[in-house]
Amino acid sequence: MSAAIEITDLSVAFTSRSGTVHALRNVSLNVPQGQVFGFLGPNGAGKTTAIHILLGFLEPTGGSARIFGVDVNQTIARERIGYLAENPDTYPFLSGRELLTMAGRLFRMPRARLVERIGIVLAQTGVATIADRLIATYSRGQRQRICLAQALLSDPDLLILDEPTGGLDPIGRMEIRKVIADLRAAGKTVFFSSHELSEVELACDHIAILSAGRVVADGAAGQLVPPGESLEKFFLRTVTGS
Amino acid sequence: MTRILTIANIVWLEVLRRKEFYMLLILMGAMLFILLSIDAFGLGGVVVYIKDVGLMFAWILAWILAVNSGARQLPREETQGTIFTLLAKPVSRLEVIVGKWLGVWTVTAFATFCFYLVIALAILLQRGRIDLPTMAQGYILHTMALSVIVAIAILLTTRLSHDAATALAYILTATLYGVIPTLSALALNTPGWRGSFLTAAYFLLPHLDVFDMRRRIVHDWGPTNTTILLAVLLYAFCLTAATLLLAWLAYRRKRFARGSML
Repeated sequence: MSAAIEITDLSVAFTSRSGTVHALRNVSLNVPQGQVFGFLGPNGAGKTTAIHILLGFLEPTGGSARIFGVDVNQTIARERIGYLAENPDTYPFLSGRELLTMAGRLFRMPRARLVERIGIVLAQTGVATIADRLIATYSRGQRQRICLAQALLSDPDLLILDEPTGGLDPIGRMEIRKVIADLRAAGKTVFFSSHELSEVELACDHIAILSAGRVVADGAAGQLVPPGESLEKFFLRTVTGS
Repeated sequence: MTRILTIANIVWLEVLRRKEFYMLLILMGAMLFILLSIDAFGLGGVVVYIKDVGLMFAWILAWILAVNSGARQLPREETQGTIFTLLAKPVSRLEVIVGKWLGVWTVTAFATFCFYLVIALAILLQRGRIDLPTMAQGYILHTMALSVIVAIAILLTTRLSHDAATALAYILTATLYGVIPTLSALALNTPGWRGSFLTAAYFLLPHLDVFDMRRRIVHDWGPTNTTILLAVLLYAFCLTAATLLLAWLAYRRKRFARGSML
């Protein structure tokens, strides 16, 4: 069985007039199927860049990335992925239900299955009662939920979440944790980046810490942090060296 | 094709719900109503005058809708960050480009159809005669011009900001319509290599004037030859396809950052 995510010696450099910025330097990661994988790092560490490569938005300057054994630059690699962007926004002129219908058509889902899945994800994310309203009228948290609903719509084998709890209230955060727990129980893989160390500690089986474009720690959640030390202290010590 | 049609469907809903289309239609109707009610220079109610001015308005308003809607599509996806959600699905960038073009083109063609209906209504109110085959040919060629204009607007937005692309699309399409056709006359009066250069430019650069059948409609000259019509349709197809191909080449490796291009 191939890994859900396989990143090998991945490097990304952006060159501009002011010089070259190395966003990622020889990053290697292996995310087995069925795991909840936490991807931590301070601002500017390269987390979103790595996610953008996994989704084919960016081409690496070196190394490779594969999803379920398929090169990420192939469109077919995205058929088994659900993605929730950091600060997600969507088409304000559509209703929540229309947005999900459009998303389902992009996955070429059969009509009956699409209707069934829309009902399930609306209930799962708690936006069923506002699904027929225009998204322009949604609050920030409601937009985040409808975006999560469309990420879950195709029943993906791999869910990539970039800072998923950013705009959510405590109830919304709890619901996200429940969604992640449900996905884990269903044998799905979840890859999520976050600044919220407590969220990661609660939800993840495996943690990798990225700093200045390099992986500085990588291991099972229960074994990575030395006994008697909190994840927060470990994170600060690993990233800042103090 | 499902993905292209879905992206086109999103464009349709966007243009129709922004109410831009209705505003232009009301503007068109209001202008024709004014024309019908004011008897300036004794021209009130003269059918030729209604056709001439009505079709001119239809060309201008459809041009505005095509450039504005076409140039808005990709930059807005990028500034709002919705491009990430879209491309995270199994959708290729070529499908995004073609879907956006198809959506803007069909909605603009529909708006143009409504404009022609308003003109036809104004003509009938003045008990004028409508030469349906010529009017239909004029409409088809008009939509072909819009196809090229929308493709140009989308091409420019693959590398430029919304404002820059919109301004340049207006200038470029106006030049292709109004300036390029005059190059052959200029070439006749220009000696030496400059004349040859102008002649070469006349034949090499795209022409939008070939899609304009307004004079045939206004003066009741009857429909054009079918062979010529098909040749012009083929020309429009080639121009659109070449422009969309360039757009895809410019877009396929484009890097996105949240809110702007890297």
